[in-house]
Formats: sequence, structure tokens, C-alpha cells
Amino acid sequence: MTCQEFERVLPELGDGRTMEQEAHLRSCSACSDLLADLNAISQQARLLQGSEEPSPWVWNSIEVALQQEGLIRQPYLAHSQPPAPPPLLGWKLRWLVPAAAMFLVAFGVLMFQRGTGQSHVAEQQTAAVGVETAGLQPMAGDDLQLLKTVGERMPSMRAEYEANLESVNAYIRDAEQSAHSDPNDEVAQQYLRNAYQQKAMVYEMALDRSLP
Amino acid sequence: MTDAKKQQGNKLSEAEAIERAKQGDAEAFEALYNLHKRRVYSLCLRMTANTAAAEDLTQEAFLQLFRKIGTFRGESAFSTWLHRMSVNVVLMQLRKKGLPVVSLEETMETEEDAPRKELGADDSRLAGSVDRMQLQRSIAVLPPGYRMIFLLHDVEGYEHNEIAEMVGCSIGNSKSQLHKARMKLREILKTSRAEKATKP
Repeated sequence: MTCQEFERVLPELGDGRTMEQEAHLRSCSACSDLLADLNAISQQARLLQGSEEPSPWVWNSIEVALQQEGLIRQPYLAHSQPPAPPPLLGWKLRWLVPAAAMFLVAFGVLMFQRGTGQSHVAEQQTAAVGVETAGLQPMAGDDLQLLKTVGERMPSMRAEYEANLESVNAYIRDAEQSAHSDPNDEVAQQYLRNAYQQKAMVYEMALDRSLP
Repeated sequence: MTDAKKQQGNKLSEAEAIERAKQGDAEAFEALYNLHKRRVYSLCLRMTANTAAAEDLTQEAFLQLFRKIGTFRGESAFSTWLHRMSVNVVLMQLRKKGLPVVSLEETMETEEDAPRKELGADDSRLAGSVDRMQLQRSIAVLPPGYRMIFLLHDVEGYEHNEIAEMVGCSIGNSKSQLHKARMKLREILKTSRAEKATKP
């Protein structure tokens, strides 16, 4: 069997291969490399299934449409609405909505500037980002605080917000890794900005729903 | 752990959520959305390569599902029903926009679109060095016809006969497009790796 003959049967090739094809693969490194690459692409592709998280606004829009169309027949959270918390708690947390959103988006912008800025300016900005990044660590505490608040106000939603935060934090870590491995990669910077915007939205939604 | 399993472990099972959604229970709708949102959105995003369009299509797919949920009798798996509906929503949208869902004729394929035959070329193997981010980017630049078949088969796990039915092409065409898509991806990934290697 020649390489051209092997290539012709390749689109039809499944797990079962003829002895002739097996013999060709053993003797031809180009064809066996090609097959290994195509299999690797295929296997890696399966991991992409369900790997992206939609913005929280998608559910908001669906919910509004369901209400308008009369498909939702019960008032939202009517049966799980917890008693109102002390007023102070609301005020104590209300600042978190704009603060978290601004902080996260600002971080994304700084990351973008670091990726696209010129060398000298970029170095200064990188240092600034380093400080900001270090400052970001306490966000884990904020995440816990947010979950605590959601748990007190909407116990049934806590697990969902926890899953959302875990997911968006994983997205951020993934995007940060890519952005750091190649700071000039604009796609990676865009992923990172999207990741922070998503986290800001999760905060905004959680607090918007949980505040009195 | 998958979204579905987490969700089931924490509160409503899918079957309970379906029954409660039929009664108009808001939390049941949300639970169903949360179980399947990632898969539906990822499919829409990769097929359109556009975040805003993907969000609109995700919304449309779920709304269609929720409007018809009263007719769901459980003969088929709910997820199969939903994902097939999502694919149909995306395909319909792409057709409306006049985007090619699948290449009409293989002979119409341009030289630029066709994967270069690299048999015998002195290139090292990609296997083991394909990462998720690289693959995502490469899929986004595939010609739309290749991308559709690749996503449906290799990412979503549909068989060629199902793809042929959904997309409206022959099984042979689906196999051929898939092979060309994989070959094109290999070429894009190799080019990208070579470019990275030559960067200072």
C-alpha cells in the first residue's frame, strides 16, 4: 500500500483497520504520525464540549421572556424567600456591587494594556498589574462573603452561585495562564477580560437579587 | 464533576425539574437551564464564533424548549431533545444569514480552503502538544462548512448518519468534510506552532 492509497481510505478509517493498512502504518512514519495527529485533534476536541459559560444575562433574558409569555406561573422565589435580613447587612454589602464590577473590569483593562503597550510603558504597567494582581488574592474572601450572603437570603440559590463562582474562577485561571505564557496574544487578553467581566456579572446578579 | 451531576446532587433531579417546569415553576426552568447551559452555549459559540450571536441563539434554543416542554413525554432523553433543538436553531440561523452550513460540492472547494496534502512531509508530530486554547482558535478559523461538521462529530459526538440528516447532506459528504476539517486543523496548528517557535 502506498501513502496515496492510505490517504484515500483515511476518511473512512475507523478503529478497525485491515492488515494491509496496519502494515503500512508500521512501515511509514509520515502516515502513522498523520493518523496520531488526527486522533489527538479528535480526542482533544471532545474536551471542548460544554467548556464555555454563558453570561448570566442570558438566563435573565430567558426568565423575562418566560414571564412575559406566561410560562412561569409562580412568582420567582416566592416559596423560598427568606426573612429580610437586618437592614445594616444590606448597606454593608451594597457597595460591593459597583466596587466589585469596577475592580474586575479595571483589572481586565490593565491586563489588556499590559499586552498591547510599548516596552517601557509596558514594564511600568506590568509592575502596576503585579500589585493589582497581588491585591486580587483577597477576592477569595469576597467570594466566600458573597456566598454567605446568598446563602442567608436565597438558600436554594447558594449552590448555583458557588458553582458559577468556581466555574468563572477556573476560567480566569485558565485565561491568566494563557495571557502570561504569551503577553502579546490579543486573543488571550480578550479571554481574560471576558473572564473578569463574567465574574463582575456574577457578583452584580447575586447582590442585585439578594439585597433588599 | 459535570454541571448536571452537581445540580442533581444539590437539588432537583432533571426528571423532577421537567415535571415542575410543565407546571410553570420558575426554579425548575432555571434548574434545567443550569443543567444544560454550558453545552448549548458552547455549541452556539463555536458554530458562530461570535459571543453576542451565541448568547442570542442560546436564549432562542432554551425558549423554544421551554415553550414545548409540555409536549415532552420522556420517550427520548431530555438532553438529546434539547441539543438537537439547539443544533436546529443554529443551523436555521446560519441558513437565514446565508452562511454555508456545508460545502455544496467538494469540487467547489477553493485551493485556499482545501487542506494541503502533507504526506511524507518532514514535520514532527502534533500529538501531545494540542492544547485547548490553541484548538479553540484553530476551529474558529476553519471554513464554516468544515467547522460545522467537525463540531457536530468530534465535539458533540453525533454520528455521520445523524449529521447527514440534520445538515442535509450525504453520509459520504459528512465523512469527507470531517476528514478535511481535521487535516485543515492539523495544518493550522502546525503553522501556529512553527510561528511561535520562530518568535524571539
